[in-house]
Amino acid sequence: MTNTAGARPAFGWKDHALGGGLGVLYVSWLLLSARTLGFARDEGFYFRAGRQYSRWFDLLLSRSPEAFESRTIDSIFSYNHEHPVLMKCLFGLSWEYLHEKAHVFTDASTAFRFPAMVTAGVALWVTYLFGARAYGRWAGVIAALLLGLMPRVFYHAHLACFDIPIMTMWTLSVYVYWRATQERGFGWAIAAGLVYGLALMTKHNAWILPAVFVAHALVVHGRAILRNLAAGRVVLPAPLVAMATLGPLLFCAGWPWMWSDTAERVKEYVSFHLNHEYYNMEFLGRNYGAAPSPRSYMPVMILATVPAVTLALFGLGAFDRLRVLVLRILEWGRVTLARSRRRVPASLFDSTALGLSGLEPHVPKDKAATDVLIFLACATALAPWVLSTKYPIFGGTKHWLPAYPFLAILAGRGFVIALSALRRTWPGLVGWIRPATEIGLAFAVTIGPLVITVHSHPFGLSSYVPLVGGTAGGADLGLNRQFWGFTTQGVGPYLEKNAPRHASVFIHDTAWESWQQMQAEDRIRNDLRGVNSPSEADFALVHHELHMNEIDYEIWVAYGNDAPAYVLTHDEVPIVSVYRRR
Amino acid sequence: MNAEEATHSLSAVRALFRRYVFLAIPAIGLLELAAHIVQVTTRIPAEDWAAARDGVKAGVRPNDLVVFSPAWLDPLGREYFRDNLATIGREARPDDTRFARAFEVSIRGEHLAEFEGWKVEATQHFGAITVNILDNPSPATVIDDLVDHAAPDKAQVALVEGGNETGCPWTRGSPQTGQIGFGPGIPADRFVCPRSSFVATSVVPANDFRPHRCLYAPPVGGSSVLRIRFVDVEFGRTLHGHQAISWAAARYNSPPVTLVWKAQGRTLARLTEQDADGWKPFEIDTGDLAGQKGELVAEVSAPSGSNRQYCFEADTR
Repeated sequence: MTNTAGARPAFGWKDHALGGGLGVLYVSWLLLSARTLGFARDEGFYFRAGRQYSRWFDLLLSRSPEAFESRTIDSIFSYNHEHPVLMKCLFGLSWEYLHEKAHVFTDASTAFRFPAMVTAGVALWVTYLFGARAYGRWAGVIAALLLGLMPRVFYHAHLACFDIPIMTMWTLSVYVYWRATQERGFGWAIAAGLVYGLALMTKHNAWILPAVFVAHALVVHGRAILRNLAAGRVVLPAPLVAMATLGPLLFCAGWPWMWSDTAERVKEYVSFHLNHEYYNMEFLGRNYGAAPSPRSYMPVMILATVPAVTLALFGLGAFDRLRVLVLRILEWGRVTLARSRRRVPASLFDSTALGLSGLEPHVPKDKAATDVLIFLACATALAPWVLSTKYPIFGGTKHWLPAYPFLAILAGRGFVIALSALRRTWPGLVGWIRPATEIGLAFAVTIGPLVITVHSHPFGLSSYVPLVGGTAGGADLGLNRQFWGFTTQGVGPYLEKNAPRHASVFIHDTAWESWQQMQAEDRIRNDLRGVNSPSEADFALVHHELHMNEIDYEIWVAYGNDAPAYVLTHDEVPIVSVYRRR
Repeated sequence: MNAEEATHSLSAVRALFRRYVFLAIPAIGLLELAAHIVQVTTRIPAEDWAAARDGVKAGVRPNDLVVFSPAWLDPLGREYFRDNLATIGREARPDDTRFARAFEVSIRGEHLAEFEGWKVEATQHFGAITVNILDNPSPATVIDDLVDHAAPDKAQVALVEGGNETGCPWTRGSPQTGQIGFGPGIPADRFVCPRSSFVATSVVPANDFRPHRCLYAPPVGGSSVLRIRFVDVEFGRTLHGHQAISWAAARYNSPPVTLVWKAQGRTLARLTEQDADGWKPFEIDTGDLAGQKGELVAEVSAPSGSNRQYCFEADTR
């Protein structure tokens, strides 16, 4: 179970059953906890888009020619055309078939959310496969578990949004590309192109994936590419060619909005994301509503939201693989030096001279350069926030979720190292004591993340890990407490008990569609009237974020007092205030 | 122990460390779990809040401040202490200088940095809540608060355009508020001027996002001047105050707002407020007016009225 990169274990249906089983368990947990999580702002928009887009599929089945008319397409797909349609179509189809027709899900919202939840399950499955193939089965299992037990991943995995789906598609793209590099078959290359196309159809993060593939291909095939170039030929690895052609093709072919005025609309799409407006985000007590964004945001937020034990394991695994990479580079240097017969000091490639004493002199070769790929996939997803201060930070951690499966895989490798040490330290463990001890070690590294993740629900964006003092520690540090207004559902019981019939409620940061959906599903009393300003309302909500203080003060002025009637808290930290007009 | 033995024992320790260092991983996991359990089980019972409120109520005087520490505790503090203790005046204070004492209602041993120089007079414990009574080393005596002058019998407001002064009557309407970006709330009672301008008491968040109770007087722009005549002001040695542009409006590099103070036909000071200035204090020497009572005029203008959600406050002391 402790294979290193390049040494492939026999892989079979049991591995898929194990990885898939973890995924199924995760989706089941998400389904069971979905009802207690209110609707995020963006979900409201995607619920609407899903409903609207599903009409197109109805047309496709009933009146096909009409479905392909430009005016039909524009009337349906112009809504929310700043994002590709794959997930929104799945949200809509799931709603239509699993809620409206088959009644599999009682709540329409659960049907909308289901496809994204499934992608979360797939993420665990692929993470297991990747981890297990690269570093052994224990690594795969621990990687999948630690990925699912990141509180922010768990929160986002509930939502009918694109952040978990793109995390999954990013990971799947890298995995299929890796398999294509290993297997070198035509089928795998085509699969890499198709999966990359699906990634492009999921969210725009996919457009930076070529940085991973090209850099990796240069490491693996660089010499061959250069040799061919010198001979006047351009020969590229098949997966790269497939991704470069099939990817954009699928992106356009699968998005009806792009079928007319394609160049203009692609330009508009690119421009929207390159010039995306900044939203406000608190970080270390300061509000950031415009560039420059702080470069420390990403590392601090990872420290504050990913369980410490996961990061410790990641550190151990990453150190180990970096050490191996350094050894490979040294070996390459020694070989190149010997071939060139140039007068370069041999000590330059001597691991002992570089302070890497005690390392094995020879490292097994990995033609697929798995470690390089894993580091690239992780680092590329994180790089924008380090390399540029123009990248907005308003999405909190969600924008770099694609790095997390790879962080978890390296954490899995870290676990394998700890497990090997345990076996070396107590070789005499026999019978049931040995597996029990090993499971005990796995338990010790997963129980904390499990308990922390369970406790974070349904305040996933308010929660911070014990390393920074939990939710209260996050508030002390001046870290954002929430965004998207999804915590409105938490004040439902208060309104249920205290609001007169037909009372009006200022819903603050909650999107109309989200509010309406909560009422449609009896999460919020459906006689209450949502209004758009505190002065029109009998009750006014404030979702606590630094820049939202403005709303608090507006209410003080309009109502003539500053005392909330009720404050929803998580671990004693205010999340939503409810004011009642006297 | 000789050198050889020392080296040997050091090697033994190193070997032991290498052998068992992997246990740090499960230890981190279990420590993290223990820390989480401690963090999430630390609660503040409602009874503690009630006891702290009663304790503060028994001792607090009108010119004392009541604050909550850490600052994020504030909504809970206002919920439990209600608005007769956590008043808008205290919450949205211009600064701390006017208060003789501060009742710092604190959890987890937290203290607000702004009271660092204040002396602890007494400390009371109410379960999980601690109340520190802090003495202001040099409290200011406020003679007249101009924000309290925003009333028909205490001030007159006019819009001056091209030399013509048009009065702005005191009007009772409906309060106006909106979503984020609307700007400061506009109260029901206000001086209503032509061209949709007005003067009213509001609470404005400056770049510090803290509440500041002040006179919301957005300039109309161009050569127009919003003139506020404060009637029967009791002058002191200084006119102490602050001005700000609401944070949401202070992001567009708009031209500055000018505030001119006049009394007895002369200009006391000409102040400007730029986007980045935030809640900016000012102090104007009025020593020659001290002890007198009379009219004090504030004139607000800006080259453009766009994004100029401007507000000021002042008192005589």
